Amino acid sequence: MFKEFAKGLSITFKHLLPGHSTTVQYPKVKLTPSDRFRGLHRLVPAQDREKCVACYLCPTVCPAKCITVESAENEKGEKYPEVYTIDMLRCIFCGYCVEACPVEAIEMTGAYELANYAREDFEFTKQRLLK
Amino acid sequence: MVNLTIDGTQVTVSKTATIYEAAKEIGIKIPVLCYAKKLMPYGACRFCLVQVEQMKGRLIPACTTPVSEGMVVTTTSEEIEKVRKTVMEFLLVNHVLDCPVCDKGGECDLQDLAYEFGSTSNRFEGEKFDLPTDEVNPLIERNMNRCVLCGRCVRVCDEVVGYGSYSFINRGFETKIATAYDRGLSCEFCGQCVSLCPVGAILPRPFKFKARPWQIKEVDSVCGYCGNGCTVTLGVKDNKVETIRFNDEIGVNDGNLCIRGRFGYSYVNHEDRLTKPLVRKDGQLVEVEWDEALQVAADGLAKAQQGQGAGILSGARLTNEELFMLKQVAKTLGTENLDNSGGECYKGVTEGLKETLGVAASTGTFPQIEHADVILAIRSDFYETHPVVGMVVNQAIRRNEAQLLVVADKKGKLDKLPREKTLLSQPGLELDVINAMCKVLLDEGLAKTDGVDGVEELQAALADFGLAEVAKRTGVDAAALQTAAKQLAGAGNAAILLAYGLPYQGLSTELATAAANLAMLTGIAGREGSGLYLCGEKANSQGAIDLGILPQGNGLGARAMLAAAAEGKLDALYVVAEDPLSSYPDRDSIAKSLENVPFLVVQDLFLSPTAEQADVVLPAASFAEKDGTFTNAERRIQRVRHGIKSPGEARSDGAILTSLAGKLGSSLAFTGSAAIFAEIGKEVPAYAAFNYNEIGPQGVVWGGETLQPASRKLVAVAGGVAADGDFKLVTGSALYHSGTISTRAKGPTAVLSEAYLELCREDAADLKVADGDLVKVSGNGTELKLKAKVGNRLPKGVVFTPYHFAEAQVNRLYKGEAVIPVKLSK
Repeated sequence: MFKEFAKGLSITFKHLLPGHSTTVQYPKVKLTPSDRFRGLHRLVPAQDREKCVACYLCPTVCPAKCITVESAENEKGEKYPEVYTIDMLRCIFCGYCVEACPVEAIEMTGAYELANYAREDFEFTKQRLLK
Repeated sequence: MVNLTIDGTQVTVSKTATIYEAAKEIGIKIPVLCYAKKLMPYGACRFCLVQVEQMKGRLIPACTTPVSEGMVVTTTSEEIEKVRKTVMEFLLVNHVLDCPVCDKGGECDLQDLAYEFGSTSNRFEGEKFDLPTDEVNPLIERNMNRCVLCGRCVRVCDEVVGYGSYSFINRGFETKIATAYDRGLSCEFCGQCVSLCPVGAILPRPFKFKARPWQIKEVDSVCGYCGNGCTVTLGVKDNKVETIRFNDEIGVNDGNLCIRGRFGYSYVNHEDRLTKPLVRKDGQLVEVEWDEALQVAADGLAKAQQGQGAGILSGARLTNEELFMLKQVAKTLGTENLDNSGGECYKGVTEGLKETLGVAASTGTFPQIEHADVILAIRSDFYETHPVVGMVVNQAIRRNEAQLLVVADKKGKLDKLPREKTLLSQPGLELDVINAMCKVLLDEGLAKTDGVDGVEELQAALADFGLAEVAKRTGVDAAALQTAAKQLAGAGNAAILLAYGLPYQGLSTELATAAANLAMLTGIAGREGSGLYLCGEKANSQGAIDLGILPQGNGLGARAMLAAAAEGKLDALYVVAEDPLSSYPDRDSIAKSLENVPFLVVQDLFLSPTAEQADVVLPAASFAEKDGTFTNAERRIQRVRHGIKSPGEARSDGAILTSLAGKLGSSLAFTGSAAIFAEIGKEVPAYAAFNYNEIGPQGVVWGGETLQPASRKLVAVAGGVAADGDFKLVTGSALYHSGTISTRAKGPTAVLSEAYLELCREDAADLKVADGDLVKVSGNGTELKLKAKVGNRLPKGVVFTPYHFAEAQVNRLYKGEAVIPVKLSK
């Protein structure tokens, strides 16, 4: 019994040694999130416009109701989002919007540093989301 | 009745039912694309295939196969599912994947079925359609790449609307729906095809990219335009009426609408709507608070009543409850000068029908028209005044082989149909034709004179209306006239239609009386299934008559009020929901009346030409912003429901009238429309039978489906007087507009934006005018310039102009007569 006990503790002590820690010295050191991490949204640009066709599926599926879309017709007669805003204060980063999108126009990036000072700064407009 | 078994369930249906309808009855859903309730069975999509045991298990379409006794039907089996899935695959071979940008997405039948069948892949490959879209017209957008060739648009345009805009062209894979010569759409833009398209191939352009179907709140209300009383389902998003939704489940119109109903809603959202009360200070109208405006209005009206008196002129677009409150205001103010809609046009009902039949309403209901054997339409074929009744007439002719007789000065739209006969008369002499028909019936012993008073007197009075004389005078063929009279008398079910409204003031009483005489002699009046229909121009014309918005006691009528005002004998006018300057006959005298009246209060949606002259302007609410009831031309009381809030501080007419009555010293207060409706019942016995909250989706008809005449008294009317002059001008309603309010709506104005002068090709050639040229029209001491519209509808020497457009000032020419002699020059 003692043998097993020592074996277990040895693993614990091993992790205490330098080079075995999982935490990093944030913000001096930053981790690279995994590819499937659900951070800040990004609207995918196409050649001369956004890929989004304003189909309203993301605001419909959004459980936090944080997406505002207003569709309009551009000069070519295509449907495009005149307004596309995500209220990051309400977003729960569930990723349903990405899942619902029929044209893969929205994706989630690894950006997770979203803290800010003013409420308005959490309104991510189309221009900000396209960056 | 026929008994059959569907999926093991016994069902008994009528022998005319199809398998699809029988299945629907017991709640079994068979997928369909091309089926539509109001259209003839077609069987284009092949989705509804079912198996019938008696047919050796072959797959047959449920929507076209009539039921037969003892039939055993299976609606789902592995084989059926497999076939349906394959049909879906065939349809999706060349269907573009537009769902994200297609406005139909979310309520698309094809999308729903594809989801139901779980169609995610396709065994077949083919080229996707890449046809050009038709976006030329401002109302209906056609994208034939999305079409599934169900043919619903083709059929509705033909069977219901009677226009026949579409057809299938080309063959095989190339088949598509197109207009003649595959040009852009140029039709009457009723949008029936839009409402029936199961996919996104035909869409309403004003609604393009505005919202998704699931974001829309649906509010069932009644159209605010004509007296037809169609149910319109407002599609509301963010406190704005974005579209009119298709709804064939409720209402009297079976989902049918005309351009005004479907595309004419946008005046509700117009940016020129009045949002704040205005009061004239130092010659300028300035915005003030409600309390001040109401106080000024109340003080001014009360002061006028102390002096030479005040008068109230109302439109017929107020709800019954609001009309009741208006009457309360008149009572509180102590004035007997009260009238609606110009005071002349509705007299056919209040005087013509009242005197003869003892009732002041149509005697039948609209659904009965569809089953009539003979239909007589007087003065127009009804299509331009009440388009949806026109559709009913069209269906009666096509589906039930009815005979349509039109006594009018111009040909109508339904003229092309085989069972239509237009008795083309000189304008203003329709009366003589009706009289002659009465005489034919009396002379030939076909008249039903039991219990009818005044037969001899009428016979004597009609001495001058012999066939030959009338034929000579009116230009109607004598034999045709005689046949028409006989057909009408011999019909099992028959309907006589006559529209009334502001542009049809001349001879309104006389025509209605003559029509009532004819209805009595043919036995139409009071007979089950038949009816005499007098249909008002405004949504609540009948309600205004029922509630008695008429001169009280010795009070002045509309004309008398305006005349008194012009002479300075009336101290105040209160105009509610009307624009007399734009729509009443004899504009110059109206202008004088408005100028001379010391105090003018106008309550309207817009700063109309009349409102610009006012001392107080009160902003009112549109039909989409209020609750209440409208009574349509067939006596059907229907609920109007609010879908949106009024812009700014605008209030409903009911609220304004209640406050005004309060300011004038009335202690009456109601808790809502239901309470007022109950109160109406105390004054109008016919309304007492109904409870406001129990008025269902079909509305309630006062007096029953067939209103029994209280008396049957023939009253002789003299014939019309033929107008001299080179050209005879008649005014009226254009198909695209209703009253003056529709000229503020984008849809109707997109199709027809200005007044025109319609004339026949011969006249146009004689005058050397082409379509679109300006023509000088002079008559009645005025001269106007109107754009020429050359057509086939009118006979030589007759010209027509619609009255809707305020800028054209057609009412300077039109002074209330049935026909105006004019001179035309280029």
